[in-house]
Amino acid sequence: MKEESGKINIAFKCDREEIPGIVNLCLDHIRKETHVKPVGMLTLAKLKWIITELLTNAVKHSGMNECMLTFEHDTEQLVLEKEDTGKPLMLFENNSGQVITWPLPPLAEPLEFQIYHNGTDSLRVRSTEPDCAAFFVEQLDDVEMPGLLIDTSEHFGLLIMTKASDEFTYTYDPILKINRFRSTIYLNSNEHEA
Amino acid sequence: MVLQVNDLSDVVQATILPEEASLSNADMFKEEMITLIAGGTKLIILSFENVNYIDSSFLGSLVVALKYAMPRKVDIYLVALKPDVKNLLTLIRMDKVFKIFKDYKQAMETIN
Repeated sequence: MKEESGKINIAFKCDREEIPGIVNLCLDHIRKETHVKPVGMLTLAKLKWIITELLTNAVKHSGMNECMLTFEHDTEQLVLEKEDTGKPLMLFENNSGQVITWPLPPLAEPLEFQIYHNGTDSLRVRSTEPDCAAFFVEQLDDVEMPGLLIDTSEHFGLLIMTKASDEFTYTYDPILKINRFRSTIYLNSNEHEA
Repeated sequence: MVLQVNDLSDVVQATILPEEASLSNADMFKEEMITLIAGGTKLIILSFENVNYIDSSFLGSLVVALKYAMPRKVDIYLVALKPDVKNLLTLIRMDKVFKIFKDYKQAMETIN
């Protein structure tokens, strides 16, 4: 672990048994770093979910032995970033089943599609640049049969990270071949919590 | 073993033993739940009283168990969820597909 003011870097060995320990290490650091103006319990819970899912994603999908987790903050935002040199992002377009892989070919217009829905939330991705993707959730009219029980559960992690973050993005560095998932939580938007 | 089971004829009370319900034990949990469902019970009351930490893999196994249970007319109730765990279920709308109760006692009262 490398620590400097307002920032922590943790090398994660992509071992699922290490996830709870790394999550606790990060949360302890975050509590220490934010003791002057403590973040609320809900924000801490969101950070725990996001860190857990970033690391779980690394174990399940990166195909690598190590990734780097970074946490940094200032008075306005908390940022978590996971970097690895594994396989780039690949998603199935929910309606057509088409496989979309990043980096994308040159885009004449933004690409946007639904990844998953649970009947109430539509998890979507939008790319305006070939190397970037932003995840977001749109509310759907509730359906009688929850889509949660129809669709597969492989996207729970992505849904959790997207809903727990104020912004959740992916970028691919084609020169260094690095994948970066970045979660941002704005402190002002979470001030109302206890 | 992930579940501690108390079989009460048509009802099974199953307590998740690990504090961390995660990728590490999600597959074993799924197998144990499917065994319980296939065993002929009508209702599984699943207690999260020990669970401090849950992830998407374990939640995925829970949904797989529910999908296996539904055509077999087996209900799954969830009880004793700590706030973080309940908030996460709510975040991804799983509270819409499971009946959630405060504890075993409250869940049992609904069937008596």
